[in-house]
Amino acid sequence: MTLITPERNQAAGHVDPAAAYVPDQSRAERRTSFEVADFPVPHGREEEWRFTPVDRLGNVFSDTPTDDREGDPAATFDATEVEAVLAEPLGPGAAPRGTVLVPADRAAVVASANTDQALHLKLAADTVYDEPLRLRIHGNGAGRRSNAHYVLEAGPHSQGLVILEHTGSAEHTGNLEVIVGDGANLTVVTLQQWEDDAHHLGQHDALVGRDAAYRHIAVTLGGAIVRVNSNVRYAGPGGEATLLGVYFADAGQHLEHRSFVDHNAPRCTSLVTYKGALQGDTAHTVWVGDVLIRKEAEGIETYELNRNLVLTDGARADSVPNLEIETGEIAGAGHASSTGRFDDEQLFYLMARGIPEAEARKLVVRGFFADIVARIGVPEVVDTLMAAIEAELAATGS
Amino acid sequence: MSTIEELNPGLKDLGRYEYGWADSDEAGASAKRGLSEEIVNDISRRKNEPAWMTERRLKALKLFEKKPMPTWGSDLTGIDFQNIKYFVKSTEKQAASWDDLPEDIKNTYDKLGIPEAEKQRLVAGVAAQYESEVVYHQIREDLEAQGVIFVDTDTGLREHEDLFKEYFGSVIPSGDNKFAALNTAVWSGGSFIYVPKGVHVDIPLQAYFRINTENMGQFERTLIIADEGSYVHYVEGCTAPIYKSDSLHSAVVEIVVKKNARVRYTTIQNWSNNVYNLVTKRATCDEGATMEWVDGNIGSKVTMKYPAVFLLGEHAKGETLSIAFAGEGQHQDAGAKMVHAAPNTSSTIVSKSVARGGGRTSYRGLVQVLEGAEHSKSSVVCDALLVDQISRSDTYPYVDVREDDVQMGHEATVSKVSEDQLFYLRSRGLSEEEAMAMIVRGFVEPIARELPMEYALELNRLIELQMEGAVG
Repeated sequence: MTLITPERNQAAGHVDPAAAYVPDQSRAERRTSFEVADFPVPHGREEEWRFTPVDRLGNVFSDTPTDDREGDPAATFDATEVEAVLAEPLGPGAAPRGTVLVPADRAAVVASANTDQALHLKLAADTVYDEPLRLRIHGNGAGRRSNAHYVLEAGPHSQGLVILEHTGSAEHTGNLEVIVGDGANLTVVTLQQWEDDAHHLGQHDALVGRDAAYRHIAVTLGGAIVRVNSNVRYAGPGGEATLLGVYFADAGQHLEHRSFVDHNAPRCTSLVTYKGALQGDTAHTVWVGDVLIRKEAEGIETYELNRNLVLTDGARADSVPNLEIETGEIAGAGHASSTGRFDDEQLFYLMARGIPEAEARKLVVRGFFADIVARIGVPEVVDTLMAAIEAELAATGS
Repeated sequence: MSTIEELNPGLKDLGRYEYGWADSDEAGASAKRGLSEEIVNDISRRKNEPAWMTERRLKALKLFEKKPMPTWGSDLTGIDFQNIKYFVKSTEKQAASWDDLPEDIKNTYDKLGIPEAEKQRLVAGVAAQYESEVVYHQIREDLEAQGVIFVDTDTGLREHEDLFKEYFGSVIPSGDNKFAALNTAVWSGGSFIYVPKGVHVDIPLQAYFRINTENMGQFERTLIIADEGSYVHYVEGCTAPIYKSDSLHSAVVEIVVKKNARVRYTTIQNWSNNVYNLVTKRATCDEGATMEWVDGNIGSKVTMKYPAVFLLGEHAKGETLSIAFAGEGQHQDAGAKMVHAAPNTSSTIVSKSVARGGGRTSYRGLVQVLEGAEHSKSSVVCDALLVDQISRSDTYPYVDVREDDVQMGHEATVSKVSEDQLFYLRSRGLSEEEAMAMIVRGFVEPIARELPMEYALELNRLIELQMEGAVG
């Protein structure tokens, strides 16, 4: 970035501090820092907060410790199903904490600054974990601040499935730092099944090792405002990243998913697929998918896809796939996004065959999610998800 | 002993921009650099403008000073607002016919090919802009007989003040963005077109613009009003000579498309590679109206241009075909904006871009469906072609849907020139350079065929020029 003196760029008699401002020329220029002071509380006009209703986010941005009270923590962390991989917690600056995730926004920086001891999960090298490793996070009350930072290490050639389950209610900020060792195969599922008054902002960053496969699956169903950012970069060639997401927003809910794939190594692949449905007044979903292909990332392949199905009036879906490409030596790059309502013809077809409208609508919605559900391929997540979708559809009474 | 240059006389001109000549700078010497109330007052006084226009200009200047620079897009720190001449009056009066033009101006236009265009009667009227003011203007009589007004914008204000006042700034208010405010404060020249009800203008109306003074900004203002059921195709082309320091081109184009009318606006922008081209273009479409932007960006150092269509009436239709070509040192940040504000409206955006030699093309678009615009349809397709490893291509498509009953699609692909295609063409005896140019031409063909013939030819020639030295 070139800095020039403000004077040079001024109209007479007028000082405009923005005149010397050079907009970020690449997604990689976005600020990251461990200093809380580097991220003022957002006012909503910033590029990365433009869709988020920051005025409704209350104290989730406040730089305060977790609101634990005597015998009554703000959030309960149930680690019984991850005991097999539990390692010594990590203080600030204790590697590998901070090697992959550098906070990129206000929520992430307060989470990082207010987590003394980060939960540390370590999958041993060359080990296959057959059972899902499940971490349950339960918020114990609306309006109570809760900070979390997890470090997840998958040793070289290990294989496992880690599920983060969010329930209850809280003002929750949570960071997840993932190191996928060379040749490892790791799936991370983050399940947001919050109560209707919960706020949850999270940053999940992964570093994918050589020839490793990383899958991040976000399933967001509950919560008043949920924003999960899933970011990936590569430690060597041959890495594969698959970022999947499913969301279902009801009246009053704001569900936001952002991802940033930084193709910084050759011959890697990334596949980003998010699908969501919306129903009810002021239901709002946001998907922003950024991909940067750097000069050195020759031979990579990437595709981003977002589909939104709007079921009723008054809902709003924002969908922004951004692609920045700095080399022509790639196998392929593309993205697609679409937003639409039910296909009336499909509905008509089903009803003409004697299926009542309510049932037909369910079938159409189920069909809409079918391919991504098949791709998730984790039975217990799929069951939860399908049950939740059925419940959502039943609630509309249509 | 002869030097290499003597043996190859062509070498001297190699790498020189073809249109990079400049006439001796007479009009520019007296014009002051910089921007102030005094300058704005002076521009307005020299043009003998009505008081309301002077006020508009001064108000816009205040807005310009208040508005921040864009917080996204290209690096614009190279623009030095105090080192630009905001108004350069040509030393010549407006001439009635070609022969009346001064010799040096005629020479300039000869190089641009205007007389040929006129001789062939391919264009209906030629408004050639020379140093901020239109000095040459001719309209075919049959157009006048149809009641079509086609004049430069200053004449439009003088001779059709009521019509002008009604629509000026109605599509793009002066506070729309920093550069629209700047243009409103210091605008000069441009075209003013009114097409009466039901009139179909068969031949494209055409205008050439030239920046001809060092550091001179070109702030033309175009206003097109197509009354109910009418049709007009306006063609704008730009070339500018090369100068040492950076030039600024900041135009505003406002188009009002009334019920069932159709307007097509074609631009092939080929500013020399030191021009900042920051243009605001917008059209409003009433019921059943159609607006088509055909937008080619070949030249300039930085272009930021997003032709917009506001679909205000039911069944209105907007279409943008955009091609961008970025070579070394260029950033083409172009795209389109479609705002659906009425039911059953539809929009299509097709964008093709080619980057080479370290150039950068960005597609930046917005499709917005406002509440109440049910049954709207929109489709956005972006294709980018990268011909080497050092160039860059970006896609930033914003979509904002506030209505459930819509169909919205966006797709983008980025590809490189395939080895197979190259091999095939080379095996048929084409040089690598020719083959590359042919592939690029094929890539932009869907848009090139929408251009008037002479423009399609010019585009092909420009692509060839751009692709020179692209390989090996």
